[in-house]
Amino acid sequence: MQGINRRHPQDSSITGLPSPDSGENSDGKWASRLLRECATAMSEKDSSKIHHLLWMLNELASPYGDCDQKLAFYFLQALFCKATDSGQRCYKTLISVAQKSHSFDSIRKLILKFQEVSPWTTFGHVASNGAILEALEGEKKLHIIDISNTLCTQWPTLLEALATRNDETPHLKLTVVVTTSIVESVMNEITPRMEKFARLMGVPFEFRVMSGLNFLGELTKDSLGVQEDEAIAVNCIGAFRRVDVEERRAFFQMIQSLRPKVVTVVEEEADLSSSRNDFIKCFDECLRFYTIYFDMLEQSFAPTSNERLMLERECSRSIVSVLACDDEIDHGDSERRERGNQWSDKLREAFIPVGYSDDVVDDIKALLKRYRTGWSLVLPAAGGDDLGINLTWKEEPVVWASVWKP
Amino acid sequence: MTEEVILVSSTPNLISECNLPPVKKKRNLPGNPDPEAEVIALSPKTLMATNRFLCEICGKGFQRDQNLQLHRRGHNLPWKLKQRTNKEVRKRVFVCPEKTCVHHHPSRALGDLTGIKKHFCRKHGEKKWKCEKCSKRYAVQSDWKAHSKTCGTREYKCDCGTIFSRRDSFVTHRAFCDALAEETARVTGASHMNNHAAGNINYHFIGAPLGPNTVQNFSSIFKPISSSDQNIDPTRRGLLHWMGQGSQGQESVARNFQEMHHMGIPMSSGVVNNFPDPLVINSCSNPQQSSYQWSWDLGNNLSSNQAEELTKNSLPLNNIEDLSIPSLFSSQHQIHQPSSANMSATALLQKAAQIGATTTDPSFLGNFGFKCSENPVQNEKNSCGVLYGSNPVTSGIGSDVESSLSDLSGLNQLQMYPPSKRQHVKNDKITRGETRDFLGVGMESICHPSSLNGWI
Repeated sequence: MQGINRRHPQDSSITGLPSPDSGENSDGKWASRLLRECATAMSEKDSSKIHHLLWMLNELASPYGDCDQKLAFYFLQALFCKATDSGQRCYKTLISVAQKSHSFDSIRKLILKFQEVSPWTTFGHVASNGAILEALEGEKKLHIIDISNTLCTQWPTLLEALATRNDETPHLKLTVVVTTSIVESVMNEITPRMEKFARLMGVPFEFRVMSGLNFLGELTKDSLGVQEDEAIAVNCIGAFRRVDVEERRAFFQMIQSLRPKVVTVVEEEADLSSSRNDFIKCFDECLRFYTIYFDMLEQSFAPTSNERLMLERECSRSIVSVLACDDEIDHGDSERRERGNQWSDKLREAFIPVGYSDDVVDDIKALLKRYRTGWSLVLPAAGGDDLGINLTWKEEPVVWASVWKP
Repeated sequence: MTEEVILVSSTPNLISECNLPPVKKKRNLPGNPDPEAEVIALSPKTLMATNRFLCEICGKGFQRDQNLQLHRRGHNLPWKLKQRTNKEVRKRVFVCPEKTCVHHHPSRALGDLTGIKKHFCRKHGEKKWKCEKCSKRYAVQSDWKAHSKTCGTREYKCDCGTIFSRRDSFVTHRAFCDALAEETARVTGASHMNNHAAGNINYHFIGAPLGPNTVQNFSSIFKPISSSDQNIDPTRRGLLHWMGQGSQGQESVARNFQEMHHMGIPMSSGVVNNFPDPLVINSCSNPQQSSYQWSWDLGNNLSSNQAEELTKNSLPLNNIEDLSIPSLFSSQHQIHQPSSANMSATALLQKAAQIGATTTDPSFLGNFGFKCSENPVQNEKNSCGVLYGSNPVTSGIGSDVESSLSDLSGLNQLQMYPPSKRQHVKNDKITRGETRDFLGVGMESICHPSSLNGWI
């Protein structure tokens, strides 16, 4: 491991902890070991151990190193905030720094590059677009409510499909609900682009961005401008996890009240909500998920990629929020993910699950073929309750996509 | 927060240039048959039966009538019998057996048997044929074959030069590519102006509201047109767009002309007064026609005959010279005289310089201007910044990143966000409240070309 400072003595005799050296040599996964030990020490409130581990991690961590060093860096930050009870402040600072360092150009480049090298997001787009097109086939007035932060990268292919697939091109109204302030700040750049593109495609188009929401729970049928004669599709990409845990059921009810023809859901496979009162469990799950994510990023991007760096930084806020912010409701960016089967259980109270058609599955398989190896599609188990599909990275399910009808 | 509701209702198929893989062009909707034709309704079984055409000599069956006729020749029939045995007195059209289908009704019957067979298969049949490369499925074997030949071989090229082998990534890229902004800025301008009318003078005459994405309205007029590109003469295309499309464009262009006048832009008084009713543009859907009619009066009282003359590649200069509008229109046509596709940027610069102080420049310099917006300069008077709007107003990338970083506790937070080197362009002042001529160029830049920082 390059760049690690090894000048300090290993105090293994005093603290009883393995020295970083031995950790590295044995299996190279020192970061998870040290981080877990630190988390344990925190939950046990063993302050000298905490200090020691924090110090060690600080020495070894780096956002520019390998996966271990990166994980150590970002998780260390969260642990530090937890230990010093400064999670909220840190979170706010991270947000403001991110806002300042991002522009439309940089975010656009980032998202497009990510989509080019990894199907992490495009998987959900293809699945959802396919389901939406099929569910709204034959309708003349479409209204898609897009609750996501995808910067509308999902929609060009849908617009193209609308233009080329049907004999009569329907009218499409797209209402985008943005949930992060960073994306919100650049949506004014997206609006003209989407409109122009729709014009180019020859699709009658109406576009609207809803922003300024403090949290998704504020959405109502009226504020969304839903009309009687429209065929509604509600598209939720990474949206549910941003709803406060206690309000999720109510949120689904609100969606149901819109009377959509189809609801498409895409979320990441991690359970950070059922364990939210158990720090260690939550920590473990968080570490597990981001270990996969960082590994995926490393394998997908070129080694010196700036975009990868930016994506990794984006994780820092989420990690701090989950581990160090103790469910403060006011920042509204809770990002407490749940697994597909958990979402399914809740969604089933308001909707009926629908499977993906063979055509859509084919499209997804074709999509995955275009990326590097390591990705695959897992279809729902026969006879199971959950009809959603999973994208897996190295056999680990990472993204869940599903379709629901009223 | 205000919500933006922008209503755009365009009719489909306004596309005149096709850099994108062509949108399926709508011929007359299939199945508008001759009312005198005889309507045949075959059952699915009969429809799918092959070899309906039987040779009366040997009984051999063929899928198509043509094949049968070819076969019959081989029987060495005497001349008389060589003719078709049944003269087709009435044309026959076929309906789709599927009741829910739009082509089930006789008024939408399809004209030939092969057509109805394929339709039935495609729409209502099982998709048995699958492409290996992309997993796309087809019900009709010939469709599948045709697709397999081209699957993966096709390359898509964006205006910005990037090439894609995947259509979906091409499409997504194109939607966000700034090259797209150039092409359709003029089209956008028309409808935007329509919506933003009501006293809002804060926009380009031709382009969309100021913003980096509404850059270079005219750049693609000067953009080298490669042979693989559209089949429309660039001037016409540019003008076509500029004139707006359909009545919406006409009205808004007309209105803007009025507003220009109100803004006190020096124009020959003849211009506005002679301005007849909405521009007559009858060639929106047929860009290849050379007979646009413009009644747009550029300072001359053009009769419709004279207007015809204008439909040639470029406007005769003498019609425009006396126009005192710092008219991009006029100068663009001057530049376009040579009309050759590949005018270099340097040549354009020189031309622009020749035209004089009234024509501000960077708007012609398509790609240059582009870079301009990416390298913001803090000079407020920089007309480059003016023309292209500011950098996204939202990107206040300042040097205060560092100071906020010092707030972060302890641990090498600085590593996470190395100071960003971008400066922001303080262009907000310029984009609001100042008088705009139709170029969207601030008056001061017209009057003080020297402030153009070396563009000219």
